[in-house]
Amino acid sequence: MPKSDTAIVMQSWVEAFSDKMYLWTLYKTNSKETAEDLVQDTFLAAFQAIEKFEGKSEPKTWLFSILNNKIAEHFRKAYRNPTINESDRNVDTEVSLFDTFFDSDGNWKKEQRPKEWHRDEGNLLDNAEFINVLQGCLRKLPNNWFAAVQLKYIEKKRGELICQELEISPTNFWQILHRAKLQLRKCLEVHWFKN
Amino acid sequence: MKKIMYLIMLPCKKVTELIEKRSLVGLSFKEKIQLHLHKTMCDACTAYQKQSKKIDELLERYIHTSDTNNSGSYQNHELKQKIINNLS
Repeated sequence: MPKSDTAIVMQSWVEAFSDKMYLWTLYKTNSKETAEDLVQDTFLAAFQAIEKFEGKSEPKTWLFSILNNKIAEHFRKAYRNPTINESDRNVDTEVSLFDTFFDSDGNWKKEQRPKEWHRDEGNLLDNAEFINVLQGCLRKLPNNWFAAVQLKYIEKKRGELICQELEISPTNFWQILHRAKLQLRKCLEVHWFKN
Repeated sequence: MKKIMYLIMLPCKKVTELIEKRSLVGLSFKEKIQLHLHKTMCDACTAYQKQSKKIDELLERYIHTSDTNNSGSYQNHELKQKIINNLS
């Protein structure tokens, strides 16, 4: 394809798909900046690899497959390299997180003991109010905890495999998920299930 | 004696850790017994496990649901322009 033709095709794809791709990425990353960056990267990668696109799949499918790889790569990076401030914060968060929930013997503090949730109303994910609460709670997680949560559910892979790709020990991974889950559970309880 | 008690009755913090480990990489035989024994005696951890599973289900569905259905009206012109400028 001559270069000018490629540019025209790409431009029409940007017009047709960039909004959907942006929203999809925003939904996953919870960050406007990150979403814009990843969508831009995707089109750049597509532009450079256009020779490989032979029209065997829909352009939209092809673009989204590149995008999803970029999103997963983003979370792997975020998990591996929390910024310095972030990791400082984690040490604090970690200590106070466990201290919030457990006494010195490691048992639930009386007021923190989980009790059954009674609020249960069909499909929560159809409820915009609940989605708001969930997104708010996810946003409060430290960056690399959030990345760990995303990696666990995005790829539907066994834990060992995720850890192999990240080159980290499984122990480290599920300990981070443990902390993330404790915090997330509490947040959902306070903002939703207790109401 | 304390050591034996610990072996039989893990503290809740450790048990909640096992609950997360279970869903990710699975548990050893000993850990399965420890988890089971603890739950027979601890309502709080039993409730925690139930809620942890519920959160797993919610997150898994949330992450795989496309929220792009209501994007009809959404337009990010600035982003489009940025991308097009990048490409030329």
